Amino acid sequence: MPLLSYIFRRVLQLIPTFIFILVVVFLLVHLLPGDPASAMLGDRALDADVARIKHDLGLDQPLPIQFLYFARQVASGDLGTSISLKAPVATIIAQRLPVTLLLTVMAALIALLLAVPLAFLAALRRDKVSDATIRGAFQIGLSMPVFYLGLVLLTVFAAVLHWFPVGGYGETFLDHVYHLILPALTLALSLAAVLMRNLRAAIIGVLGAEYVDFARAKGLKARLILFRHVLRNALISTVTLFGLSVGTLLGGAVITETVFAVPGAGRLMIDSIYGRDYPMVQGLTLALAVFVSLTFLLTDIVQAWLDPRVAR
Amino acid sequence: MKTMITAALAATFLLGVSLPALAVDRGGTLAYGRYADSLFLEPVLNDGNVDIWVLSNIYDTLILPTDDGQGLKPGLATDWKLADDGLSVTLTLRDGIKFSDGSPITVDDVKWSLERAAKPDNGIWQFLVDSIDSVSTQGDKTVIIKLKHPDPAILSALTVFNTSIMPEKLFEAAPGATDADKAKAFAEHPVGSGPFMFQSWDKGSDMKLVKNPYYWDKGEDGQPLPYLDGVDFQVIPDDATRILKLQSGELQGAEFIPYSRVDELKADSRLNMELFPSTRVEYVTLNVRPQLDGKDNPLSNEKVREALNYATNKQAIIQIVTHNVGTEMTSFMSKATPLHTGDTPLFSYDLAKAKQLIADAGFPNGFELNLLTLAGNQDEVGIGTALQQMWQAIGVKLNLQQVDNATRTDQYRNGTFQMRLAAWTDDIADPNEIASYFAYSPTIDAIHSGWKNDEVDKLFVQSQSEIDPTKRAAEYARIQEIFNATGPIVPLYETPYPVALAKNVNGFNQIPLGNNIFRAAWLAK
Repeated sequence: MPLLSYIFRRVLQLIPTFIFILVVVFLLVHLLPGDPASAMLGDRALDADVARIKHDLGLDQPLPIQFLYFARQVASGDLGTSISLKAPVATIIAQRLPVTLLLTVMAALIALLLAVPLAFLAALRRDKVSDATIRGAFQIGLSMPVFYLGLVLLTVFAAVLHWFPVGGYGETFLDHVYHLILPALTLALSLAAVLMRNLRAAIIGVLGAEYVDFARAKGLKARLILFRHVLRNALISTVTLFGLSVGTLLGGAVITETVFAVPGAGRLMIDSIYGRDYPMVQGLTLALAVFVSLTFLLTDIVQAWLDPRVAR
Repeated sequence: MKTMITAALAATFLLGVSLPALAVDRGGTLAYGRYADSLFLEPVLNDGNVDIWVLSNIYDTLILPTDDGQGLKPGLATDWKLADDGLSVTLTLRDGIKFSDGSPITVDDVKWSLERAAKPDNGIWQFLVDSIDSVSTQGDKTVIIKLKHPDPAILSALTVFNTSIMPEKLFEAAPGATDADKAKAFAEHPVGSGPFMFQSWDKGSDMKLVKNPYYWDKGEDGQPLPYLDGVDFQVIPDDATRILKLQSGELQGAEFIPYSRVDELKADSRLNMELFPSTRVEYVTLNVRPQLDGKDNPLSNEKVREALNYATNKQAIIQIVTHNVGTEMTSFMSKATPLHTGDTPLFSYDLAKAKQLIADAGFPNGFELNLLTLAGNQDEVGIGTALQQMWQAIGVKLNLQQVDNATRTDQYRNGTFQMRLAAWTDDIADPNEIASYFAYSPTIDAIHSGWKNDEVDKLFVQSQSEIDPTKRAAEYARIQEIFNATGPIVPLYETPYPVALAKNVNGFNQIPLGNNIFRAAWLAK
């Protein structure tokens, strides 16, 4: 089946991508000025202490040797130990990454829930008041910086109205979802704006297409036309855009996690870079690369399903 | 008559009995908002304030600091005696002390803990107890610490976090081959004898401490401390969110309130905006080496350093950057540091004098300087910009280089920076730590500046073994006199610790060293 072999080919392509990412990240983070020992110990570090810690961490070895140790470690499935947090990198990622993934998935869902129906409405009522209102509202959401939007939502809906907690993550899974509603909404708004505009334009384009005229001429019901022909075709370009936006969502997650005090991987990445926690930065980049690649793959599969011409 | 007297006596008795003994309320959990999470809850091997400031709630030391952070009061030891020759300290352990798992604290635990802290290369705080030679015990109540040389700071050292008394058997039973490995395992579930015990830790998010049922100290009502059922440390890195959470009632305390919001929170009727005296000082570090990058370094000229100091309007910086929360420095060490001397602000603003000094130094056309500041840090950007404008008046062009912390630390430690902004807080209630880092050049080249003064070096070494308090105070007065006049810094300001608390929080204290003390905190009902 062409779809299955397409999927298989794409998965194989991922492996050299991951290796490339690993090498690049290793080089980038090691070439930054500063080192984990001084970053950890701060201004009071005595030379003897820094030298001792550098030696314990193997950082006084030449760079190629360090890379070989690292490569060997990763090949055996060990992501190493975090220098700042003093715990296995894999364990910490397993704790923090799902938080960001949940936040990102919720943000993506909210963005779709907002963008798709409203894009349809705006396209079908093109150039009327409702169209202008929808586009205007999204424009505002798009122009506000994420941290400002987050703070506004927190102030109004959490601190004043007490509908939501002021940041944090909660204890049980349902609690987590509840705590993540505001941050996910914050993240979703700018993505929704971009998706909405793109989908609206695509729908308008499709509505004018010849096959839609043909479907109408055949006497098909309007709803059937909308879903089977219009939506399916209009979604093609939007799905691609959506997949590409996942990277932006993850980036926005960093700020959102800070503002809403969510213990996710975004904040962890920033802290690890500041602290020159090499194993953590490398391990987390690999984990994020896997996630983003899988999202691209999923997007491509959905596209291939929507448009069978892609898989050939 | 007799009836009246009896009635009067009865009434007085009833009145005395029915009045509440004290107003303290017990119970409740205090949720406290922190700007960053702890990393490693280990007394000896931790690396910084985020751990230190929490450790004193889980662990206990032999001697405790008084509430003002400068004196001594009994902790796990009820009394102590410094030998006349200053070469040993004898301490008596309190009766009935236990760890939070119910096991008794023995003299062996004390011996082991102190020797572990004093072992060379064991942690970056080892220097605080470097004078300890060996620890011996006598019976089951007496501990004798033998010192390599008389150490005037040893009693203060015994209040510091790295001399926390830990359970030897539990620690040694932790998995791992080396002390560091065992420490990592033990720190996941630390067991101490402090007012609270560790319950759970969602890293990056939430650390829960609960009341230690075996804690030795008693409250004002005669019942064991702590008054609280527990403390919940929540990590809220964003300042605005942390304050919002406090104002909405979800937190009962929040640390590190930005200076710009202090006045606003003072006016908030739901909160008490506390400013706890601290040992924190903010200053510009100047590289005074004669050459930098192959070029002559103007900062090596003492007159240039004086000129920069006189051209800096500290009052203006305190106003702009700290919104008048800060105060001027009267010495390179804070007023809360013991043996601090000086009651006039250093180098009061005098532009005319500054111009004269620059000309005298031989730079009538000025020169360029580079200042390393922390990217995105509001305070540092504010200070840097203010200095740019102020120093322009004496012909100095200041370039601000915004970098991240690790980059700056790297240049700092290599001595390749020209100027940088910096802050310092003491870790011990004694001036020897700050003097060692700032003035005594063998430690880190006088805050990596390359400054050196032979008299100061000699005085410092002398003071480290000087057990006569008057002589030691005189030695420190002279060290400060020299450093303040010729040293490699531009002192900027001292600031207190800004902590906002809900109105019903009582008894919370942050000592000048920074430790957050929840021991006697209580929530009014």
